[in-house]
Amino acid sequence: MDQDQEETQIITLRRFELSDVDDYMVWASDDRVTAFCRWDSYTNKEDLLRYMQEVVLPHPWYRAICLDGQPIGALSVELGVGCDRCKGELGYVLAAGHWGKGYATAAVKTVVASIFKEVEGLERVEALVLVENKGSQRVLEKAGFKREGVLRKTMVLKGRTVDLVMFSFISTDPLVD
Amino acid sequence: MQQEQQHHSPPAVSLRPFSLSESDVAAVMTWASDPRVTRFQRRGPFTSKDDARRYIADHILPHPWYRAICVGGRRVVGSITVKPAGAERHRASIGYRLAYDYWGRGIATAALGAAVSAVSEEWPDLERLEAVADVENPASQRVLEKAGFRREGVLRKYVMLKGESRDVVMYSLLATDNKL
Repeated sequence: MDQDQEETQIITLRRFELSDVDDYMVWASDDRVTAFCRWDSYTNKEDLLRYMQEVVLPHPWYRAICLDGQPIGALSVELGVGCDRCKGELGYVLAAGHWGKGYATAAVKTVVASIFKEVEGLERVEALVLVENKGSQRVLEKAGFKREGVLRKTMVLKGRTVDLVMFSFISTDPLVD
Repeated sequence: MQQEQQHHSPPAVSLRPFSLSESDVAAVMTWASDPRVTRFQRRGPFTSKDDARRYIADHILPHPWYRAICVGGRRVVGSITVKPAGAERHRASIGYRLAYDYWGRGIATAALGAAVSAVSEEWPDLERLEAVADVENPASQRVLEKAGFRREGVLRKYVMLKGESRDVVMYSLLATDNKL
């Protein structure tokens, strides 16, 4: 229990800066990380800089997951536009060398503890996880998300249609300590 | 409110595109002005024929797949829509609404069957059709189940309905479910 608390304290979220590109490249170029992502591993820094400039920096909710202040992963919430302002979709990646230590769980807990106060009208944060990705499912369960069901063949991921497990955290759900 | 199906044979249901004819405008008004029908629809109730006319022109005619539900080859009693999720058309979502007087006769179920057949042919890459029904709309949940859709779970506060977030039941029908 003490160990969990110690790790929770040293995981923080902040906005990215272009100077984070080398740290970002560590996970963005790793096939182990991108296997579960909709995008392919980055092979050069210029492409990643362009992505950071065009997407990451201007994004309303894109954060660096930091360990002792250094980025070890990324987390974003895509906010619903138009009709469904009540929901946002959470996504996150973590450098493979930091898997299995509770860091992603700590980062997700931080998000749900603050985002509903920050984003007006937001009531639901959802996350879709590959059925095979048990690690990520555990992260969400430990952060207090509720498993709602499996959406069959709901997404095309790198050329194949996959089943995704839907999780959600509602603004009135209890925060896990 | 709902009547048990009284007919022994399934209703003769067909689908066709809408037009801006006066009779189609009047048909849309039949259900779109009825709060019992629009309770679980994003729009409505409409209060004037101009609302319906504008809706046909601005929303129905440009829509990727919007059809009138006809009974007996003539009378328009509802509408059914299929909206692709993205450019690839591997996934699409279905919505439907029926004039109140025609509830409980299997018409929506038949319309769903006709729509599923049609889009499966028109979009060969289609693998998943999905539909949501409000948790407080068991009639619509039954229609989807009778049409062969599988219940996947309750998605909490998933859609906005007239300014309020709603819990819905998610249903899906896969191309592989439909194998004869």
